Amino acid sequence: MHQFVFQQGLSGELQLFPHIIELGAKKNQAIHLNSFPQSVSECIRIYYVNEGKFEWSVNDESFILYPGDVSLIKPNEKFGSGKGVLEIGSISWIHIKIQNHGNNELLSGRWSSLSETESQAISKVLLMNNMPVLSKLPEVGRILRYIHDEIFNQEIGFSTRANQLIDELFIIITRHLTKQNNRGRDFPKVFMQLEQALRQNLSQQWTVEEMAAIAGMGTTLFNEKVKSYTGFTPLNYLINIRISEAIKLLKKIDVSITDIALDTGFYSSQHFSTTFKKLTGYTPSQFRKNNLSYD
Amino acid sequence: MKCIITIELGTNAVRVFAFDLHGNVIGSQRGYYPTFHTEPDYSEQDPDQMFITMLYSLKNLLNEHIHPKKYKVASICFSASMHSVLAVDKNGNPLGNAITWSDNRAKKEADKLKSSALGKTIYTATGTPLHPMSPLMKIAWIKNKDKERFRQTSKFLSIKSYIIKQLTDEYIIDYSIASATGLLNIHKMKWDADALKFAGITAAMLPDLVPVFTRLGKLKKAYQSSLGLPADTKIIVGSSDGCMAILGDGVKGEGKATITIEDSGAVRVMGDKVLKDDKQRFFNYLLTEDRYVSGGPTNNGGVIFEWFTRQFGDFKNPFDIEYSMQELIAEASKAPAGSEGLLFLPYLLGERAPIWNANAKGVYFGLNIKHDKRHLIRATIEGILYEIYSIGKTLEEHRGIKLLSVNGSFANIPFCTQMIADIFNKPVQLRQNFHSVSYGAFLVAATEMGIYKNLDEATKTVVLPDEYLPVKPNHTAYMKYFKIFERLSTKLAPEFEEIANLQ
Repeated sequence: MHQFVFQQGLSGELQLFPHIIELGAKKNQAIHLNSFPQSVSECIRIYYVNEGKFEWSVNDESFILYPGDVSLIKPNEKFGSGKGVLEIGSISWIHIKIQNHGNNELLSGRWSSLSETESQAISKVLLMNNMPVLSKLPEVGRILRYIHDEIFNQEIGFSTRANQLIDELFIIITRHLTKQNNRGRDFPKVFMQLEQALRQNLSQQWTVEEMAAIAGMGTTLFNEKVKSYTGFTPLNYLINIRISEAIKLLKKIDVSITDIALDTGFYSSQHFSTTFKKLTGYTPSQFRKNNLSYD
Repeated sequence: MKCIITIELGTNAVRVFAFDLHGNVIGSQRGYYPTFHTEPDYSEQDPDQMFITMLYSLKNLLNEHIHPKKYKVASICFSASMHSVLAVDKNGNPLGNAITWSDNRAKKEADKLKSSALGKTIYTATGTPLHPMSPLMKIAWIKNKDKERFRQTSKFLSIKSYIIKQLTDEYIIDYSIASATGLLNIHKMKWDADALKFAGITAAMLPDLVPVFTRLGKLKKAYQSSLGLPADTKIIVGSSDGCMAILGDGVKGEGKATITIEDSGAVRVMGDKVLKDDKQRFFNYLLTEDRYVSGGPTNNGGVIFEWFTRQFGDFKNPFDIEYSMQELIAEASKAPAGSEGLLFLPYLLGERAPIWNANAKGVYFGLNIKHDKRHLIRATIEGILYEIYSIGKTLEEHRGIKLLSVNGSFANIPFCTQMIADIFNKPVQLRQNFHSVSYGAFLVAATEMGIYKNLDEATKTVVLPDEYLPVKPNHTAYMKYFKIFERLSTKLAPEFEEIANLQ
């Protein structure tokens, strides 16, 4: 691929694509000072290494990338070369502006044809990801090239195809992320990681699709595995966690029952109360009265 | 129609079974709860999640199998894994998570006591090996290292005591679970003064001691209504999983041993006397006042073969470890008994009985250029079972064993069951698709109800139909290699320690 940089506002090619802030490819043949300084952006940034070896820093943690590797930088993360220098080699990249409605949905822009649930699941996986480098994902390089070709050549249907390719880019990255640590061998480990993710984000509403995506599995296999491993469906298992956490909070006087309901992921205090009573026989307030710790 | 429900609070999950009064299974339910490892040596579980999971599983079982068929629940009997510790405040609320048997934070406390004269006195009095698994050591650790928690603690409970407190509002502990705390004098059946002193607590900080048949108070009203159980449902305190497993296998006296292999494993015998062992290799737990369950535990059971399978299995079906294990076992069966001189020491998780060496590590020994994958798989399984045999062999120094029964998911694999028969050179009985711990709990509840006159009568009803007979030439082959295995297991101690320091 030849070298180019399209930038939003400067390059006419991006006029129909307000969500693409930057798209580029570069073959670097000499080392220049300050050619790749660290920066922070509100975009999602994706960098792909075609050739060479690059030492990059994401949020002050340093990573080495080889050809075929991808760096995925979340909004507001600091990214660049630790030494400020771009090494010799060839890279391509894209910066995508994301919607921020505060609902953890990244890809809800009108350009995307992902369904709402799939978009939410992908956003959740991307936001919760702590591994800024994905190894051996050549599809990303290919898709970036196709996006460039579509935008550059402007053949009939190009805007639809370019946007579809961006969707595909996110789908491929998400799938790879969830499978990176999971070779289909260790379900207990995968489940433990999911458990942790659920606990850390207990106030969120979770769908089975999202949980399956975090576990890196299709929903059919996921349902079956969770049921046989835990004895519960994924959503019922989640209720176990929600209620056990609620029990702990109910024993502390300074948290209101409405807050407990919302903190532990129930729609409302009504929903909390019904579920709690069904399982324990007590309403949350009765339970609190029986178990309060007075110091 | 009446039925009996058993609830087993196991290491990774609660298992709820419903039996009719003849001991046939009506239904069962399993509910997983996680173990947290917040520090390398820590293993903790959330008591509230265990309670909720137990309640939810019980409720599902009742709604699916009991209420629709109009069964009346006569009694509910408990069993639980041993050695757990949960500190609660004066209102009975947990101070942190429950510390489980596999938690090793109290290594220093255990080492210190073990090397002292007091240690020997306490071991002889309590029957519990001086090891970080023991609640005695865990409480001493809390006293030394977590002073704030110790100060706030009103009582130290076992996880079963906590669950029962939620249901009936009593602080109790049965003699079986108590005898595994390292705090009970198993001869006098009272809390041991020396042990209490070492732990820094008084007897008032422990639950009340009761026999395993004890009927507890009524289920709280809220649970009567949420579960749909009548007020006169008996709640029976029951025993520990270890004691229930040997009971459920029908062992009532000498001559027979039970081998349990799940993730970890144990070899147990029952008798009316304590096993005295100068090397402190065995546990002696109480089932009833005149029945001691003695034996040795290993850390390295089925969990080691699962580890092996995850590394070397094919996993043609993602996450289907059972299938991959079956495939490996089919390959292993193509190598001859003894794996042509390839040996495996399975100590990936350190080891308890019989070597009691937390630093022990895994070793493949004797590997030569002709060995292939089949030998490696077979040697791995043989190593796990040699370790079981080495526990059995030390037990045989004290008790005659003519017959074995096996239970647990790993021991129940036919290839492994046959190998156990061959290595021990003794017939092995087992009952497929059955859970010995839960059946033991059924026998306790049924005896309490007067269906059986006593536990001897109850165990007579246990029929173990499948028998595996030893194959003599295999036994001969195994014994040639076992001698080397046994020597290696202690010979490498200095190297184990050195490598442990580097890891």
